Amino acid sequence: MSLIKELYAYRELLKSNIKKEIRGKYKGSFLGVLWSFINPLLSVLVYAIVFPYLMRSTVDNYLVYLITGVIPWTFFTTVMSQGMASIKVNAGIIKKVYFPREILPLSVVSAGIINFFISCVIILVFCAIFAVGFSWHLLLLPIAALLQFLICLGLTLAFSAINIYIKDMEYIINFVINMLFYGTPILYELSGFSTQVPAFLLWLVKINPFTHLMQIYRDIFMYHQLTDIWSWAYVALIALVCLVLGLFIFKKLEKGFAEEV
Amino acid sequence: MQTKENAIEVRHLYKKFKVVYDKPQTLKEQIISFHRKKAEYRSVLEDICINIKKGETVALIGTNGSGKSTLLKLMTKILYPNAGELKTYGKLTSLLELGAGFHPDFSGRENIYFNASIFGLTRKEIDARIQDIIDFSELGDFIDNPVRTYSSGMYMRLAFSVAINVDAEILLIDEILGVGDQYFQDKCFRKLEELRDGDKTVVIVSHSLDTLRELCNRAIWIYKGKVQMDGEPNEVIDAYLQQVILDHKADSKNQVIEKKDKYVGHMVIDFPQNGAVLSHNEKLKLQGWELSDCLHARLEVMIDRQEITAIDRIERADLLIIYENQFGGYATNPTPGFHAEIDVADLVNGTHHISVKVYDENEQLLCMEERKFELI
Repeated sequence: MSLIKELYAYRELLKSNIKKEIRGKYKGSFLGVLWSFINPLLSVLVYAIVFPYLMRSTVDNYLVYLITGVIPWTFFTTVMSQGMASIKVNAGIIKKVYFPREILPLSVVSAGIINFFISCVIILVFCAIFAVGFSWHLLLLPIAALLQFLICLGLTLAFSAINIYIKDMEYIINFVINMLFYGTPILYELSGFSTQVPAFLLWLVKINPFTHLMQIYRDIFMYHQLTDIWSWAYVALIALVCLVLGLFIFKKLEKGFAEEV
Repeated sequence: MQTKENAIEVRHLYKKFKVVYDKPQTLKEQIISFHRKKAEYRSVLEDICINIKKGETVALIGTNGSGKSTLLKLMTKILYPNAGELKTYGKLTSLLELGAGFHPDFSGRENIYFNASIFGLTRKEIDARIQDIIDFSELGDFIDNPVRTYSSGMYMRLAFSVAINVDAEILLIDEILGVGDQYFQDKCFRKLEELRDGDKTVVIVSHSLDTLRELCNRAIWIYKGKVQMDGEPNEVIDAYLQQVILDHKADSKNQVIEKKDKYVGHMVIDFPQNGAVLSHNEKLKLQGWELSDCLHARLEVMIDRQEITAIDRIERADLLIIYENQFGGYATNPTPGFHAEIDVADLVNGTHHISVKVYDENEQLLCMEERKFELI
């Protein structure tokens, strides 16, 4: 509770930090902020060219299917890589001034969700072009995004703090994220799994919260239907656990930042 | 007498720093070094208990490494104690490092917003203060230029202006009284006096003891991680200066005298000034100081070709502190000052030279100064 009060007191710092995160990343490049939208489009292009040849059963409207998966996934990966380094790169300021340290990962994740909402326009454009259409289910988008926001916040809080003490964390997490990419139905459809896939692997993909999150996003944008309530509940539970654990770890470790960083 | 509330409460506070010679950075190194001996700890602060009341202006004094800056960092919550507690009541701003978060590519005005937001001000509060800050910094039209084009003096002026105008109830200041030129320093000093006379609580760490004597109404002397003395500034500072000299004597006794080929020294003659004029019945007053890293340096004073031997050496604690801070153990001579009153009745009228030379133990000249004076 006192944390919320403090964050409110420092809202100006949070605001300017978020602005810096959004604008600062591509500073100096010709296309600037546009890159945060061009990047997912380019990867969609690559997947769209390569994957139909690799997979036998293709999904209907594969391009829309891809973009509804890739854009939320980009939100997750950019936020993770920047958020994890957020304490480390601000070492100079941490040693000199007091401010609630949570602001650093929080501003990265907040910048991420703002970027994501803007990127959703791209998804909508694809939906329009490929005649998938829109429905009232879009009203659920903020809730889905918020759940993803909370998962990301919890993870970045925890790992940005651990990263100060164990510098390898960054590389380990990068590897895990890479694996998770293939463990999440972004390029493929879960129902398209052949029966030869070991049950264990299938189980892993099913407990992956991002599998459910992708299903939610696709139901909102593509299939215009309500996702199973248990998927929502599961993602919400994971979000809560991430946030609580993340805050706990961050609070435990933040006292040593100025000495260790 | 009205009892005031505490602004800062320090209770049985301990702080240790881990001394790591080769810090295990990666997981592999951490696993490998897991079985090695436990890390060593160096205790910086031990059992500190201080109450600072609202409205007090407190000086923290002590030699380098005594832990006073650590205490200040603990008060700002940059560091956290190993044991004990430290509570602060009221909005707190620390001027540990000026210009934290300044971005060189942004203009002075934008940096004011950014820097002030780090201190926890909202947009509205900054808007209300921005004119005061710009006026105080006296940057004028430069305020809209990028900070990277500023001189270091301008940079510091801007940073100080933001920090001092934040309007905190508790202000922690670490060794930043030497900002800018004399004019700006005086201005900062007046601002600090204003804060002191208001209801602000100020804690200052500084080595400019004379400033502290004037500014503060309480001084706390931290000695080897403990509170040695706490009270009226003049008494505490005098006791501190005494201790500096005592420590210095003990140190130079214990010091293994290492023979060096080359020593470094520094000397200043305060009197006489060059071209001083005096008459036969006056005495020539010679005064100055000499510091070197050679314990057995020899001072030689000559008027024209005549050596003067009656020279008093004087203890100068102020010099020892300043030089220890600048050069770290540079000064080994506990009596760096020299003073003499020289009879000039026998000298003829006209221009004379007085020279002071310092030789090290190898009889090498370390430094010398010369003054001319006129006898009429």
